[in-house]
Amino acid sequence: MRTGRPWARAELVLGVIAAGAVAVLGLWWADTPRVSGLGDALTGAGRITGLLAGYGVVVLVALMARLPPLERGVGSDRLARWHAAGGRYVICLVVAHALLITWGYAVTAHTGLVPEAGTLLRSYPDVLMATVAGLLLVGIGIISARAARRRMRYETWYYLHFYTYLAIALAFSHQFADGAQFVASLPARFFWSAMYVVVAALVVWYRVVTPLLQFTRHRFHVIGVRAESADVISVYIGGRWLDELRAQPGQFFRWRFLARGLWGQSHPYSLSALPSPDMLRITVSLRGDYSSALATLRPGTKVIAEGPFGALVPERSRRRVLLLAGGVGITPLRAIFAALPPGRVTLIYRASDPRDIVLRDELDAIAADRGGRVHYVTGTREELGGDPLSPQYLQAMVPDLRRHEVYLCGPPGMTATAIESLQAAGVPRGRIHHESFEF
Amino acid sequence: MRLLIALAGTAAGLAALLSYKTHAAGTTAAAPMSGTQGGGMSAQAGGAGTAASGSVAGSASPAPRDSTPPAAGSGARGSASPAAGSGAQGSASPAAQGGTGGSAATRTLTGAVVNTQYGPMQVQVTLQGSKITGVKVLQETNAGSLSQQIDANAIPQLNRETLAAQSARIDAVSGASYTSQGYIQSLQSALDKATA
Repeated sequence: MRTGRPWARAELVLGVIAAGAVAVLGLWWADTPRVSGLGDALTGAGRITGLLAGYGVVVLVALMARLPPLERGVGSDRLARWHAAGGRYVICLVVAHALLITWGYAVTAHTGLVPEAGTLLRSYPDVLMATVAGLLLVGIGIISARAARRRMRYETWYYLHFYTYLAIALAFSHQFADGAQFVASLPARFFWSAMYVVVAALVVWYRVVTPLLQFTRHRFHVIGVRAESADVISVYIGGRWLDELRAQPGQFFRWRFLARGLWGQSHPYSLSALPSPDMLRITVSLRGDYSSALATLRPGTKVIAEGPFGALVPERSRRRVLLLAGGVGITPLRAIFAALPPGRVTLIYRASDPRDIVLRDELDAIAADRGGRVHYVTGTREELGGDPLSPQYLQAMVPDLRRHEVYLCGPPGMTATAIESLQAAGVPRGRIHHESFEF
Repeated sequence: MRLLIALAGTAAGLAALLSYKTHAAGTTAAAPMSGTQGGGMSAQAGGAGTAASGSVAGSASPAPRDSTPPAAGSGARGSASPAAGSGAQGSASPAAQGGTGGSAATRTLTGAVVNTQYGPMQVQVTLQGSKITGVKVLQETNAGSLSQQIDANAIPQLNRETLAAQSARIDAVSGASYTSQGYIQSLQSALDKATA
């Protein structure tokens, strides 16, 4: 059980990122005696955007480096959202950097943009490489944009993302060869490279080495697959010494099943039962190419598991608890339900189609065993005669709602609506814990 | 939407930073260009201005990059008074600076050492009367091979510009803004001595 609110930690992390950005601006500030004329101003703006972009890519990679403090303190879903939003921003910085530098140099040299771009590409060291990197990043940015992503397979999108590492590597050398802030300053070069090296080491350690070490130690493998409904299955995964992982109810692992067609990717799935020393269970909705292939998993298939991750972990609290699940978001809450102290828990399980309700027997059994209450809320809004996530509806189901600690898991739209309603019903924001399961 | 806000914020921040730098340096930055007050100049050069080695030229100059030969031609076509032999310009001739009031006297004036981010810049000019007939760089930036490469390209260009403009009001060479700034400031400080 964890104390301390993920809230404060998220703000702390943002504060550290902002402080780093200020330090980067300081590099420029200290090295720039004065700005005179349009050319100088444009070049200065180009340098600042370039420095911020060089810093930004490192932050973006660090957010995705699976650092345990970030995963637990901020939450993987929020990290992914930061990464997406930050990615769009950094790509704009990269584009601005290229345009401003070219324009600024052109103004100073009294030439046009095109000839100056030619000069930059031909006679400045490594600028050509950096330009390739910039184009790669812009391409990946366009591909990752929401509209385009919906039209392409997740797998394609996922693999294309790896080219960002190539882009970052290609863009690195021009920073030292041409960057006014680095050419003359050894300490600046040292700290800048240290930042890149440390983040690269963290990525390799947490994304490659740690999962392999866990794999050899715990020997994860598929024990069996069980159908929970028409399109939901549970996968049972065995291993040894799993208690060492200290997985908590509500957390998830990133699973890489070493079977044909599946081993290339890892996907996050929450534990849907309390972890035991020799077995873990996940429950998966079979929508999408990848997850539907999980139904064909054979017992004995080896699994590389990264984790545990996730900040949706029960707080140590004396308050009564409301668990609010939407669709397959039930999985982490099912594990939390079984872990909370008896007698003080209400579970609301929302699904528009009654056939989508899964694990019903287990939920009823936990409720009977521990004195909890379960509300299954199914049907469309029209059938129900109103939005079941409205404050009035929630208050009717859960007396004294405002005094509850709330755990919320569901699709993003449902999560957003529920948070609004809960706040309208008087639940303080700090007591609403949520995780969105779409990554 | 949030992205637009972030970008607008960034643009505003950039504008604020840059205009602060422009404004804060504005009072001193104008000085070297105006060519009247050497005092403002030396303050602006990061305190290095006072290191000027007086006006005795040619002494202790580390490997000067001598640009006078190509300059002589362009100097000659300037106006109708190529009084003294132009052969004298190239050498590090001790000047007739002591000052015979004669308008055609050859004087060699050494500019202030201007410390740029990449190292010092120092310029020496040769004047015949009030005409600039030669420019020589006594010290140039020395921060590695790229810096030397930039200087090798920029300094001849700056020398040519100086002889053509007959003043320190010349354009910076693109890609060599620090070298150019140092050059122009040192040149201005040398020319200031001629009028002083």
